[in-house]
Formats: sequence, C-alpha cells, structure tokens
Amino acid sequence: MLFDIIKKEILENINSPKFVFSFLLVTILILLSTFTGINTYRAEQREYVAAVALNQQNLENQPSYQALAGLGTKINRPPQVLGTIVTGIQKAVGRQATVNIAYDPSLIDSKYDSNPVLAVFGELDLILIVKIVLSLLAILFTYDAIVGEKERGTLKLSLAARVPRDKLILGKAVGGLISLLVPLVIPFLMSLIMLNLYPDVALSSGEWMRIGLIFLLFLLYLSVFFTLGLFVSSMTQRSSSSLFVLLFIWVLFIFVVPKASVIIAEHMRPIPSMHEVTAEKDAFLQGIQASTQQEIRDWMEDNPREGNSEFQEDFRTKLEEVQQGATAAIDGKNAELENSYQAKRHAQQILALYLSRVSPASSLSIGSMSLGKTGIQEHERFANSIKSYKPVFTKWVNEKMIRSLNFDSGGQQPKPEIADMPRHSFEPQTIRASLTLAIPDFTIMILMAIVFFSGAFVAFLKYDVR
Amino acid sequence: MIGGIMLKAIDLTKRYEDGKLALDHVSLEVGEGMVFCLLGANGAGKTTTINLFLDFIQPSEGEALINGINVNKKPLDAKEHVAFVSENVMLYGNFSARQNLDYFARLGGKRSLTKKDYYDYMRRAGLKDEDFEAKVRTFSKGMRQKLGITIAVIRDTENILLDEPTSGLDPRAAAEFVGIINNLRAEGKSILMSTHDIFRAKELADYVGIMKAGRLVMVRSREEFLDADLETVYLDYMQSSAS
Repeated sequence: MLFDIIKKEILENINSPKFVFSFLLVTILILLSTFTGINTYRAEQREYVAAVALNQQNLENQPSYQALAGLGTKINRPPQVLGTIVTGIQKAVGRQATVNIAYDPSLIDSKYDSNPVLAVFGELDLILIVKIVLSLLAILFTYDAIVGEKERGTLKLSLAARVPRDKLILGKAVGGLISLLVPLVIPFLMSLIMLNLYPDVALSSGEWMRIGLIFLLFLLYLSVFFTLGLFVSSMTQRSSSSLFVLLFIWVLFIFVVPKASVIIAEHMRPIPSMHEVTAEKDAFLQGIQASTQQEIRDWMEDNPREGNSEFQEDFRTKLEEVQQGATAAIDGKNAELENSYQAKRHAQQILALYLSRVSPASSLSIGSMSLGKTGIQEHERFANSIKSYKPVFTKWVNEKMIRSLNFDSGGQQPKPEIADMPRHSFEPQTIRASLTLAIPDFTIMILMAIVFFSGAFVAFLKYDVR
Repeated sequence: MIGGIMLKAIDLTKRYEDGKLALDHVSLEVGEGMVFCLLGANGAGKTTTINLFLDFIQPSEGEALINGINVNKKPLDAKEHVAFVSENVMLYGNFSARQNLDYFARLGGKRSLTKKDYYDYMRRAGLKDEDFEAKVRTFSKGMRQKLGITIAVIRDTENILLDEPTSGLDPRAAAEFVGIINNLRAEGKSILMSTHDIFRAKELADYVGIMKAGRLVMVRSREEFLDADLETVYLDYMQSSAS
C-alpha cells in the first residue's frame, strides 16, 4: 500500500504541467549557470596566470632592493574551480594584494571593482537557483499536498479505502520528495557532465567529494522546504491559505532573516570603521618615521664620518638596527590594531552567521561556501596568509636593502636577486576542515526537516478531512 | 453481520468542541440489499452521519456499526466492508480514468485487476470507451461521478455509503445513476445515501429517513412513503422546522 501511494504521488506530479514547466526551467537555469561559471573560471584562470607572470616580470625589472621594497610584490588570489557552482564571495572581495615594507597588505581589485555591471546583475550560480527557484518549487509542489486532496475529495476516498493515516502521509512525503528532486538531480548531473567536457576545468578527487557534499546540502535544503510545505498543508483548511502562509515564511527565510541577522549583529556587537583603524595606523607610522629619522640624525651627529674608517659599516649596522626596530614597532602596532579590529569584526560576523542560520537559506549559503572554499573563512585565511607573509618579505628586503648600501660606489646598487625572495604560499582548506565548518549547517537542516515532518505527521493524524 | 443488518447506528451523537450539536441520538438500520436514503436540509446531520460511519469524525455518544464492527473502535476492520462515493469528487486530474481506478482499487486491496477489468467496470458505470484513458481533468461532473461510483463498485464491499451523489448532475446522468444503484441493490449491497433530491429518494429508497437539526425525525418504508406522498410529508417536516 505504501508503495502504491509513493508511486501515485510520483506519477501524479510527473504528469502535471507544473512539473514539466519546473523541470524545463531548472534545467535551463542550471545549465546556463554552469556554462557561465565555467567560462568565468577559465577567464579568471587566464587573468590569474597573466597577473602572476606580470608580477614576476616587474620584480625582475626592479633596479635595486630599495625600489623593490617600495614597489613590493603582488599576491594574486587563484580562482577556485568550485566557484563554477558556488560563486560565494569571490567576486565581491579583492583578488590582489601588494606586499611592501610600508603598508599593511589588503586585497583589492575585486571582480565588481573592475566591472561594476556584474554587481548590477549579480551572479547566477547553482546555489542561487537552489536557494530561490527550487525552494519556491518545493512550496508549489507541497502547499496543496494535504489540503488540496481534501478540496478534491480524494482524501476522503483514500481514507475510506482502509488506508491508515500514517502510511498516507509517509507515502505522500516520500513520493513527493522524490518527484521534487527529479528537477534537481537530472540537470545537476548534466551540469557535471558539462564540467567534465572542459579539460582546463580540472576537478580533483577532493573536489568531487566536495561537490557530493554540496549536493547533499541541496537535498537537505529542499527537504526542509518540502516538509515545511507538508506541515503547513496539514495545518490549513484551504489551499489558498496554505500558499499564503508558505510564501510568507519563504520571504522571511530567503530575504528577511539573513538581512535582519546582520543588522542585529551590528547593533549587538558594534565595531569601529576601517577608516578609524587606518587613521590610527597612519598616525603611528608617521610618529615612528619621525623618531627613526631623528635617531639616525642624532647618531650621525654623535658619529661623524670624517676620520672614521668604520663609518660605512657602523652606519649600515645602525641603520639596520633602527630600520628593523621601526619595522617591528610598526608591525607590532599594526598587528595589535588589526587583531583588535579583526577580533571584533570576527565576533560580529560569527553572531550574524549564527543568527542567520535560523533560515535554511542562510545555512545553505554558508555551508556550501565552506565546502566550495569560496566563503568568508577561506577569504580570511588567504588574507591572513598574506599578512603573515608581509614580515617575512619585509625582513628579507630590509636585510638585502641595507646590505646593498655602498657609499663608495656612488649610489650604484646591485640588481635584486628575485630567486632568493621568499615566496607567499597558501594551503587551501582541507576537506575535513571545510566539513567541520559545514556541520552546523547540515545539523540545522536535518533538525528542521525532522521537526517539520513530525509536525506534519502529528497534524495529519488529527486532520479534519470533512 | 447482525441478523441481516449491515449498517447500524445506535444513539449516534456528535457535539463539536464549540458546543454545536450536529447529531442527536440517531439510530437507524440498513439491511442487506436495501437502500436507505437520508433526506434533509443543509446542516440537518446527513453528512455527519456518513462521516461517523467512515470514522472521519469521532462520535460524542453512541456507536456506528458496519457488519457488526464498531467503526470507532476498529476503523480499519470496519472500512474493509464499506465503499464510499462523495459529493462532487474531483479525483486526480492528471491521471486518466483508468489510472484513478487502479490507484483506488489498490488502496482497497484489489491488486490483481487487469486493464480489461477496469474497462469493463467503467463500461458498466456508463463511461464511454474513449474516456477510459482520457485525463480526468477533462471530465464533466457527471463523468467524474460515474468514475467515483466505479471506484466504490470495484472494491466489491457489502456496503456503500453515498454522500449527495446526484448533486449537480444533469437529468440524464441522474437517471443513469439510478440504474447503477438499482443494480447494486440487486447484487445485495446495503446502501446508505444522503441526498437533497426527494425525487431520486422516491425512486430508489427502500427506507427514507428525514433529518432535522441533527435528529432523525421520521423513518418510513417504501410502502409507507408511497402511500403518504413523500413530498407532502417532507415539506410538512421542513415547515415545522422553520416554525
């Protein structure tokens, strides 16, 4: 009997015009988004390779370590191949940071900076399609699952035919969910085949595993909306009321909760603006520069060049000492200010993310970005790796710059040996670490689906079929 | 079965949570091969009686028995012996007539019927061959009602409950419906039917019960109501209810 109910539910849905329409729409959207994602990734990959080569060329063209220290080196963020399906915050954040001796490095030149039109139209990635289009379809598939049967008179007929209510709701849930997943699974598989057709979009076994986990997140997300629809349909006596309630909750989940959580977090955990932090850093930098110059002048007054055969070596040693001291002080102060700011910002972000997880749409975004390595955490890890690289680069270039000072050569300085330069390295997050970040999202969605289905089950056992 | 009585209500009472008394100590019996029609205005308690026999609602007092089984205590056992035809059933519009029939037959435990069997049942109910595989959403109300009756017939239960089955049918479809019910009676089915349609009741019923404000105020056998002119009796009761 349960099998008959499941089969009926699947066939009824598949035979409906709304299914055909949904299937076509989702297939077009998913294939379009994958195609766009692949082309964007390939373009970004080309840009990345060109930017790395240009940086190398610039480094090699520097006439001296002094010039190199001022110009610095550019660190480019490599594009993520999983950005083809989960764009995340990649487009909104900077792709390149300059590391030199003066300023704290920060990622600039986002995709939206270079082409603001992209920001106007937004990104059509798989997450957006699942989050908005498929959740809406889940509602359209379920708002009349119970109340619609009542209105058509088929609920009475089914229950009059010796069907236990628990089997009927279970069969409707399983059959309905299977038919809802068809418009996701088939286009998704087609998009994976499309990804495989491009040899320059190479997916590692780890990335395939990540795609599998993201797909699992999609299934859970749709299950949440599906069971929610079943629940509301079991609680209402008219399909129009059910649809209205579900659309109201959908708007809350998709649009209101994520925005509201950010606003609430900003009020609960206020942080200073970035301009205030930068101004404080600049003031400290100017102070240090002034005191450094004064210290050198004082040293030169106390140690005149005339008659001192060791002057050049002494000056070099003093300069190195003062320079390293100043750099350490600047770095220390910057790190202190930065750490304080980042800690506050992190606390605010964490609060906003936790609050937003009341909405399954937020959980989907956060979880899939963690798994796709395109979220906030991965961006922060990359930014931190650049900040960690800055003192390494500074120490190296300072040493080289001072060692290259030669008062006898008439200002002539040796050309930098770029091969010696320490390189920035970044290890992408492991799949285990990404999964750990996404576990709250999996858990929240599983719990929501269980709660909504339990609600639907209990409500249907008491449902007034008249 | 208790001495040939297939459907039995004993002091059946339904009072809703808001205090409204929908059914007030109704007792009736429907014997084998008999048609019992419940007549009455809207809200008289006809559909409530049917709903209690199907366990759609719980009685406040009294019992509904199907083949001697208390519906409230053993609903699934009791429903094994009853089929139901409701008013204005829409069925599954995206399914063909045969697919609807197949689904409800399987729910009712009939799993070995062939396509030909379904076609034969539909023919007997008056549906045309070209309608068998047509989507039900294209059906008229009369066609849907015939399919609804076929769903009840195919389960081959001893008892059939019909809730306003002729409501909204055109005269020809209503006449065909009378023929189907007469055939079912001839097969020995016990039929309890609620209706507004005094003329169909007159044509079909072995017993007529008139309901008013939740009470079964009068029961007459076919001989009695034909002698007494059912229309006059019914109108007298309705007028007395108005006063």
